[in-house]
Amino acid sequence: MIRTSRLPRISDKIEVGMAWLLGFLWIAPLVYVFWAAFREPAVALTLNPFQGWTLDNIESVWNSAPFDRYFQNTVLLVTGLATTQLVLGILAAYALARYNFPGRDILFAFVLLQLMIFPEILLTENFRLVSNLGLQDTIPGIAIPYAASAFCIFLMRQQFKAVPKELVEAAEIEGASRLETLWKVYLPLARPTIVAFGLVSVSFHWNNFLWPLVITRSPESRPVTVGIVRFLSPETGIDFTSLTAGTVIVVTPLLALFLLTQRQFIQSFMRSGIK
Amino acid sequence: MRIRPTSTVAAVAALALLTAACGSDDGESALEEATADNPIEITMYYPIAVGGPLQEVVDGLIDDFMAENPEIAVQAVYSGNYDETMVSVQTAVDGGDAPVTSVLLSTEMFQLIDDDMIVPFDDVVTNDDEREWLDSFYDAFMANSRDHEGRTWGIPFQRSTIVQYWNKDLFEEAGLDPDHAPQTWDELVEIAQQVQQETGARWGVQIPSSGFPYWLFQALTTQNDVEIVSADGTEVYFDQPAVVEALEFWLSLSADHGVHPSGIVDWGTTPEDFLQGQTAMIWTTTGNLTNVRDNATFDFGVDMLPEGVRRGSPTGGGNFFLFADASEAEQVAAMRLIRYLTQPEQAAEWGIATGYVAPLPEAWETAAMEEYVSGFPEAAVARDQLDYAVRELSTYARGQIYEILNDALQGAIVGDMTPEEAMRHAQEQADNVLGVYQN
Repeated sequence: MIRTSRLPRISDKIEVGMAWLLGFLWIAPLVYVFWAAFREPAVALTLNPFQGWTLDNIESVWNSAPFDRYFQNTVLLVTGLATTQLVLGILAAYALARYNFPGRDILFAFVLLQLMIFPEILLTENFRLVSNLGLQDTIPGIAIPYAASAFCIFLMRQQFKAVPKELVEAAEIEGASRLETLWKVYLPLARPTIVAFGLVSVSFHWNNFLWPLVITRSPESRPVTVGIVRFLSPETGIDFTSLTAGTVIVVTPLLALFLLTQRQFIQSFMRSGIK
Repeated sequence: MRIRPTSTVAAVAALALLTAACGSDDGESALEEATADNPIEITMYYPIAVGGPLQEVVDGLIDDFMAENPEIAVQAVYSGNYDETMVSVQTAVDGGDAPVTSVLLSTEMFQLIDDDMIVPFDDVVTNDDEREWLDSFYDAFMANSRDHEGRTWGIPFQRSTIVQYWNKDLFEEAGLDPDHAPQTWDELVEIAQQVQQETGARWGVQIPSSGFPYWLFQALTTQNDVEIVSADGTEVYFDQPAVVEALEFWLSLSADHGVHPSGIVDWGTTPEDFLQGQTAMIWTTTGNLTNVRDNATFDFGVDMLPEGVRRGSPTGGGNFFLFADASEAEQVAAMRLIRYLTQPEQAAEWGIATGYVAPLPEAWETAAMEEYVSGFPEAAVARDQLDYAVRELSTYARGQIYEILNDALQGAIVGDMTPEEAMRHAQEQADNVLGVYQN
């Protein structure tokens, strides 16, 4: 009894220690960003907490670009895009997972292929596509190349494949149509996956930079990331306080959203585990 | 289940391009027909590579231009840093929607010519006034703006050179003359040693070697009186003894004298190290003037780089280019915009706001600039150094050549190769790449 309980206790401690260490390593850059953002430039890199606090960095960065407009654009972009991706992805995945039709496997192979293509390679083709649609310099223009997400289709298809046949048959016996089955049987079971994909999609497009920069020209359609890169000022060296202040401005809303809803996220993951 | 119909769209795009290209127009007359109600629209991309609220300055300059020229409507697009601007321009050109003009690194010239992306300004200027304008800039800047046949492909806009900054307080503490910066390589070593021994500074001097080490290295080679590139951008001379010597001097600062950090010195944090008093001297761009002046808590000085066999520094920074895909009328309109932005008053305003070297002598004679220089004499150092400045390394296949040289330099700095091996290896690789451009 003693022998068996002692060993686990030591290994538990090591495990917890490692977790703290990893957690610290992971959070350190973020802590530094929040630290430097509110410091006067001369003391940004020192660790004396009793002097040098200021809000000037945030203020000057906020005023250097139309951030309110940029935020509006980013929110519109990420919500609209995540919704579109889910609608298209779910419908496609449903067809691929549950129906037999000629060419299905080839189509799915193409979807998988798209997963392996590095998005930057398609910069020119996407630019051509979007400008020919006349959507250049608009928010739908930023979104459209990403609307049919291979990752979403793949994820949802795997999820739908795992739904028990019995449940589907029961629904069909009740007289449910195909879309009703999708809505009432598949989707409730896939909710954790939907939430997870939504999270990945929102944070990816919140942070996306190069494509929005290339396809947009005016502040009316540019997202928030375009607002902060100028503080990297590669020629004169990094302006730490401005860059970190800009980062705080960009990440805070997303961070706050996640912290506020994290219980729901975790619960939804756990509920999926029970089923 | 949607697969993007890319190829169909591409075909349609090609067709649309073809139709567009068939419409011809006469630049001058189209521009004459344009009015305030029906203006010629042009797009200009510009990168921001230094700190400060520069977008406002650009917008102000553009508004002034449009007020004077209501028949031209300019959309000025901030496009990230230089690399991102290049990607944006390349994508837009390939995608059939090129901007009319953009600020890009002056060293992109040969590559842009090779890709048929730009037109020379000589083909676009229409009268003697405008032709004279092409000759109004400092020769040192034109070395990266004209080809060997004398055609002008770029107009200097935000240009710089490398200068040395030194911390006068640390010099004084070390018992040195605070107003005297090292004037020779030997003096650099002596002063660096003394200041490092006598004060709390960790390092005597920092010459950054990340990102674009070739640029700093070119200062050393120039000072050792050797050219590393031909005027037509088809040949490089990396393996000459004088080039190897310059690299050996750089390495000796840390290896023999211990006054310079060993290993790669990061470009981006060098100014910060200087501002924090970690290093007594730095070599960096004149573009850092405003940053250092605003943030230094000590007295600092700016001087030309010290001389080895001679003085010298490469120039750097961005030029305006005109794109070949634009219509003639658009090119003429853009040329007028660029001419406006490089008039003495505007060039002075831009130089003062950014720290870049105003690219023409007349700009230094404006009231605004004279007042600025009298209050801040350091600003004129870069201009005075132009007498000794040389063309920045610029070749065909620029990206590859830079990578070859930068890798070789960093390899030598971290000790993977001897300077001689590194330079010989770089020369071989560069010859392979440039062979196709040498008739």
